[in-house]
Amino acid sequence: MARYILKRLAMMVVTLFAIMLVTFLIMHAIPGGPYSAGKRLPEDIQAALDEKYHLNDPLYVQFFDYVKGVLQLDLGPSFRYEGLSVNDLIAQGFPVSATLGVLAMLFTLVISIPMGIIAALKHGKWQDTLISVVTTIGVTVPSFVIATLLEYFLAYRLRWFPIYGVENPKGYILPMIALSGYYLAFVTRLTRSSLMDVMRMDYIRTARVKGLTETQVVVRHGLRNSLIPVVTVLGPTLAGLLMGSFVVEQIFALPGMGRFFVQSITNRDYTAIMGFTLFYATVLVVLVFLVDILYCLIDPRIKLAE
Amino acid sequence: MERDSQMMRDFTEKDWEALDVQDREEEKIAGESVSLGREAFYQFRKKKTAVLGVVLVLFILLFAIVGPFFTTHSYDEQTLVYVSMSPVLKVYVINDNYYYVTSGSKVIAIDQDGTLGETIRSDSEDMTNKRYVFTIEGETYYLNYRNSPSTLEDTDGNILPTSRVLNKTYPLGTDDLGRDILVRLMYGARVSLTVAFVATLVTLLIGTLYGSISGYLGGMVDNVMMRIVDIISAIPLTMYVILIMVLFDNGGLVSIIIAIGSVYWVDMARVVRGEILTLKKREFVGAARTMGSSTGYILRKHLIPNALGPIIVTATMQIPSAIFTEAFMSFIGLGVSAPMASWGMMCNDALETMQTAPYQLAFPAIAICIAMFAFNFIGDGLRDAFDPQMRK
Repeated sequence: MARYILKRLAMMVVTLFAIMLVTFLIMHAIPGGPYSAGKRLPEDIQAALDEKYHLNDPLYVQFFDYVKGVLQLDLGPSFRYEGLSVNDLIAQGFPVSATLGVLAMLFTLVISIPMGIIAALKHGKWQDTLISVVTTIGVTVPSFVIATLLEYFLAYRLRWFPIYGVENPKGYILPMIALSGYYLAFVTRLTRSSLMDVMRMDYIRTARVKGLTETQVVVRHGLRNSLIPVVTVLGPTLAGLLMGSFVVEQIFALPGMGRFFVQSITNRDYTAIMGFTLFYATVLVVLVFLVDILYCLIDPRIKLAE
Repeated sequence: MERDSQMMRDFTEKDWEALDVQDREEEKIAGESVSLGREAFYQFRKKKTAVLGVVLVLFILLFAIVGPFFTTHSYDEQTLVYVSMSPVLKVYVINDNYYYVTSGSKVIAIDQDGTLGETIRSDSEDMTNKRYVFTIEGETYYLNYRNSPSTLEDTDGNILPTSRVLNKTYPLGTDDLGRDILVRLMYGARVSLTVAFVATLVTLLIGTLYGSISGYLGGMVDNVMMRIVDIISAIPLTMYVILIMVLFDNGGLVSIIIAIGSVYWVDMARVVRGEILTLKKREFVGAARTMGSSTGYILRKHLIPNALGPIIVTATMQIPSAIFTEAFMSFIGLGVSAPMASWGMMCNDALETMQTAPYQLAFPAIAICIAMFAFNFIGDGLRDAFDPQMRK
């Protein structure tokens, strides 16, 4: 166990370093400096700016400085928001995004697991057909389409929810639904197929023969075993929720990280793009790691050594 | 006695003749042996949603390739007098002629069949009563902009009778720059399909090559190659696509294909590697190696053809994902550059006018959904068709 964790931690460091290197190289391969997009600056001002941000140094020195900064948890200044550092932007946006992400995750689990159970137990009946239609829609309709439809009908037409912003906590509801759409469908399908497999197992028959009620059989023996695959996809699901928040935050004008990230792309704010990418990557890699550990803890049959 | 005579019926010459071959075949229990491809095709055809998917894809192809030849508008032609004309126009009726009031307080004459006509200019503006004065067919009418939306009234202040007519000039309406939505949808379909097919092809090539080399060589090479794949897929692929698109800076169609193609191969590489790993232990590979076949020959002639099922399925499953990524990129402003049309970009453009002209959002959104449905259905159908467990 300890050896496996150490190996995984080493891999995480390598991964994050590689991502840092790749983003750094991509951002520096872009023709023109960060200031060339706007109006032309006088040459001496340009030189002073280059000097201030060390843009004249050789590339490896700049990268070394950047890594040093990152190790001290300093992602550098934002090129567009004067006086703000990338750390400030993340500190502003992350609480909103994290709230949205956690809400969407909970919403997904609370809705999709019962739906999956119903579909599996009523296999082939109308409930199953209905749920499969709903999940097909969920898998195929992109989050930004769901988001705009929700906004148009529920917020603009019916005025049940605020059109944008999170001053009112109700503002989180529509983005949460839009964001969960795909994963709701995905987890439902997964729960359904996994529970159907488990219900065919010998130990389920044994449990029935033993005289347990059907509820006990499903909850204690069926569900507990069928939820293991669901736990494995929690990591990727979280990754997807974070990515999805890019457009959903944009549409509902939530002041989250996704929106800042998209804005930093349109503004060509290179340090912010690098910082956000690295931050996202770190969050994801750590979460996936935690989920893997959790996975082994809940299912003793799985050995970590491989 | 009677019974015996029944049993001992007379045999004729005919009874001793050999049976037809056909009759003999009827006795056989096994069916005709079919190839994997044929069997998969048969299974695929049985699935209604998969066939529907194929029909929808053919329809989109036709729409994208042939469609633009049948229309008089071009995708970037801006007709500023016909801005945000909806597909169903609410018109005022004056002496059986139709008149449409635009959001910019102009009046446009509409033919009986819905063809858009000329703009009628107002004679003067009556600022105190908040109305424009128009002379239409020799009579005076007022466009009252105190109401929202503005109404066309006669001299007594009565609102004129209204009717609805289908927009014939622009069957799906125009966007907020006066461009034909139908034509833009067609060009958007071209973009989506091009990105989907080319990116999938690139993915297929790189992924198959990478995965098969890694799986066949095994050992240290495999270990290093798969760790690289692990590192790449540690963060969502969309993130790399975003970074690469930032690098290209408004690169358009080619750069989005390169961006998607350059990272989306990792899934394919994993699938192919897994297949090759199990296949390479089979006897026929050993036989080929004993006969002195080179690694390249074994991969080309024995391993990859045998892994074709999962390869095709994975490639098809990536098409909707590529379409989605393109739409997503265009939606956040990193896709094809204006004035070229893309479904994702059209959705994004329509967000601003969503409240006044929801149809501008509806059409591209529906188009994306149809394409996603179609390719997902085909992917599901192929997956089931190639799955031996489904064969009964």
